[in-house]
Amino acid sequence: MNKLLFMLSSLLLLTFISAIAGLHFGPADISSNQVLQCILGSCENQINQMVIWQVRVPRVLVALVAGMGLAIAGAILQNTTRNPLADPYLFGIVSGAGLGATIATLSLGDNLSIALPLAAFLGALFAITIVLLIAKVLQRIEQLLLAGVAVSFMLGSATQFILYFGEPFATNRVIFWLMGSLSRVEMNNFYVIASVLLISIIIIIALHRHIDALLLGDESAASLGVNVDKLRLLMLALCAALTATIVAYCGGIGFVGLMVPHIVRQIIGVTTLKLVIGSALIGGSFLIWVDIIARSALPNAEIPIGIITSALGSIFFLFIMIRTRNTN
Amino acid sequence: MTKIIKTLLALSFISLSVFSTFTNATTDKPTIIALSPHIVEMLYDIGAGEQIIGTTSFADYPEQAKSIPVIGNYLRLQIEKVITLQPDYIIAWKSGNPSDDLARLEQLGFTILYSQPNSFADIAKEMREFGQLTGHKTQADKKAQQLLNELEKITSQYQNKTAITAFYELWARPLTTVAQGSWPQQFLNICQAKNPFEQADLPYPQINIEKILLTPVQVIIQPLSVNQTDREGFNWQDWPIIPAVANQQIIQPNADAMHRMSMRSLKELKKLCVSIDETRQWLHKKNALIEH
Repeated sequence: MNKLLFMLSSLLLLTFISAIAGLHFGPADISSNQVLQCILGSCENQINQMVIWQVRVPRVLVALVAGMGLAIAGAILQNTTRNPLADPYLFGIVSGAGLGATIATLSLGDNLSIALPLAAFLGALFAITIVLLIAKVLQRIEQLLLAGVAVSFMLGSATQFILYFGEPFATNRVIFWLMGSLSRVEMNNFYVIASVLLISIIIIIALHRHIDALLLGDESAASLGVNVDKLRLLMLALCAALTATIVAYCGGIGFVGLMVPHIVRQIIGVTTLKLVIGSALIGGSFLIWVDIIARSALPNAEIPIGIITSALGSIFFLFIMIRTRNTN
Repeated sequence: MTKIIKTLLALSFISLSVFSTFTNATTDKPTIIALSPHIVEMLYDIGAGEQIIGTTSFADYPEQAKSIPVIGNYLRLQIEKVITLQPDYIIAWKSGNPSDDLARLEQLGFTILYSQPNSFADIAKEMREFGQLTGHKTQADKKAQQLLNELEKITSQYQNKTAITAFYELWARPLTTVAQGSWPQQFLNICQAKNPFEQADLPYPQINIEKILLTPVQVIIQPLSVNQTDREGFNWQDWPIIPAVANQQIIQPNADAMHRMSMRSLKELKKLCVSIDETRQWLHKKNALIEH
């Protein structure tokens, strides 16, 4: 218990330090003292005030909740499907969001600030609805991921077909949108993502013992009084809503949902409550640091955030495979 | 002696005051962030280049433009840097800049003007607008008129020439050309070069080489960018069956100059029309020789 408390306190501290660090880095040259002054409400000038409160604070907060949301969605999917490879992105969510974003970008052109996230969200929901329908028809959980992959390819090809006939600049923008970025986020986006995240966490905490029962197998869970199908469907819908909201505002940020829960299982535990709290803290900190790299690594440009998470994620994935092989 | 010193002192004061008036006049003029290479070129054309305080990647002409701080590229702008620079105006390229970033900047209180030239006449129109905006109205009007006069001259020089069939290679991999609604199509129209793919549904269609083999292409236009490190286009020498390749009629204009909507593109139009006309005359001579 003491070890667990120590770990959670350390992770809480890490999250706090990450958020503070996130406010310090950026292309505008603002010293630590000036950042501190701005946070305390006495900015040296209006430029610093604008940079800190209208650019960096929303970015850090959205990175925090998006990282938390993606990691929690991954953890819940892995536990409810008992598949260590489950990741919200494997259910066609990004492909669906990409299709929505493509249609919005190519048909509306300008004034995309509201239409783009809305279209991406609807696209993601469309994808997950198809996957859920297939899962319901098949009645076999092990084929859920395969259905997700198939839907993902199907929607991806529809997107590429539309892009092929699109205006070249708009096409490029969609492709880069899919790589993910936090540069366009505002405080309103934070409020929306945080609300969905909060509701998801409350439901998960309320049902954490039921989800734990699923880890023992469907039959054992059913014998403990858990309605396995309903619970799994609810969790899948919850993860879909959470991921779709994040993708709508931040674009495609892959591998966070896959990678973070595996780290948490190693250092904190496998049961749902521990996993969700640990994933939230590590996922949030991780995405803040990835965003710091994205905006500071190159002097005159930003790196799309999805490139960094996918690069780190793939290395981590290979590391897990080698480690599992050695253990076996 | 005292008289000379007094005169020198007076002259120094006068030059100092003239210099200070000039400096003030320069600093009084609005500062601008120009969000595309063609806008930067246009502003230098009208004499407002020194007022540019930020731009995007690839703005490398004229030479002075290379020292302008870069604040992003056509996909993403660094909002923080824009805030730090505090420009009076941001001139954006409507179809070539990220609309979400521009919406954000507008929300933050910046004044954004748009550039979207679709023809040479549009360049002249925008030059006049930017001249008014930047305090260089006289030079801008002069340059705009010069552009229109020059365009008129080139158009009338070639309008009665016999059209020859040309293939315009926009990109090599995948092989892509231009059609109606694209910027380079007007170059072909003015120079009397017939584009066999002009009626395609897309402005920049991808073309199968088989289609080109079936078309009697008399000249190939293969613009190459100075920024292209390998300067490698499509390898036409593999297809000697195409008349243009067999006759070595491949023109390689400067892609940057052609595709950036500024005074420079007009100069490139002139050069292209001359090259196409040389091919036309060469073909004419060849045909005359065969008939003879």
